[in-house]
Amino acid sequence: RLSVETLCEVEALRCKMMYTVLLLLGLTCVALASEPVCGPLQRLKVKQQWAHAYGTDAFHREELSRAVWKYIFEHHPAAHDFFDRVRGDNVYSPEFSAHMVRVSGGLDMSISLLTDGPTLDAQLKHLQDQHKERGIGAEYFDAMKTALHEVLPDFIGHSHHFDQDAWDACFDVIANGIKA
Amino acid sequence: MLRLLILAAFVAYATADFGRLVECCSAEDRHEMQSVWKSIWSPEFVGRRVQVAQALFADLLKHRPEATDLFERVNVADPNSPEFRAHCVRVVNGLDNLIGLLDDPATLAVQLTHLAEQHEKRKGIHKDHFVAFGQSFDRVLPQVASCFNPDAWGRCFRGIARRVSDLLHE
Repeated sequence: RLSVETLCEVEALRCKMMYTVLLLLGLTCVALASEPVCGPLQRLKVKQQWAHAYGTDAFHREELSRAVWKYIFEHHPAAHDFFDRVRGDNVYSPEFSAHMVRVSGGLDMSISLLTDGPTLDAQLKHLQDQHKERGIGAEYFDAMKTALHEVLPDFIGHSHHFDQDAWDACFDVIANGIKA
Repeated sequence: MLRLLILAAFVAYATADFGRLVECCSAEDRHEMQSVWKSIWSPEFVGRRVQVAQALFADLLKHRPEATDLFERVNVADPNSPEFRAHCVRVVNGLDNLIGLLDDPATLAVQLTHLAEQHEKRKGIHKDHFVAFGQSFDRVLPQVASCFNPDAWGRCFRGIARRVSDLLHE
């Protein structure tokens, strides 16, 4: 027969276990809630915010792109080396402007395909091949991610609605597809 | 007087240069083109881009079946494959860039040269394919855009296409 003390001890152990399980569950929930994800709804939001920021007017698009590239060059001066061929020394030159237009065009395509998984993957594979031979380090993809969330809020109308978590997570989806 | 002459020469040169850049596409025409394009081409309209781009290519290959060979690398055998869908979007996205740049001739000139060089590298593309693609736009766009102005669109499209196909054979 179990003594009263043993029963109490067993009960206490059970309580402790229950408590631990609940705590773990709770922590998982918190982790799930705060980890930025690029889910279906985030993709729709990024698309909508991008459409607003990118617009259709060439000068507006160049203004946005130029702010992004200036940020990248300012924080990563070594990045200039990659853009000799397109005059990275002068972000106002037609050569660099055309380059910017091509890069934002690629980003525009990838973002618009965020809601069409298989086609997005095919497009990212194409961009990966284009980037492979140039040897661009992972740090430059992060530089562009930071540049985008530094610059974009000013282009979406109401900067406080900018969804940085959604952007960072969805930009990672695009960047990882190009880097891999 | 001399100053005036030099100025006139400059103006003539600048106008001629833009004329050469995108022939016959007036300021009104390009605004017309931009507004039609804007009404059908937004990343907000889910799936629209792929559909429009696919329809344009389907029309092109229907009228120029021999051009099918040019797109083997992007899996033209299955027009609904991700590879071909992505290819369609890339081509039409290139046009999206150009339509925006009609307002910025200096940058447009660089980009047109870039595209001409890209197409020169692809063996088997002829100037005539660009004419045919233009006709595909004429047939497809009125179906998706309301108030399509075929004359304005045609003048600007042909001007752009001529530049992009500049280095190709007839």
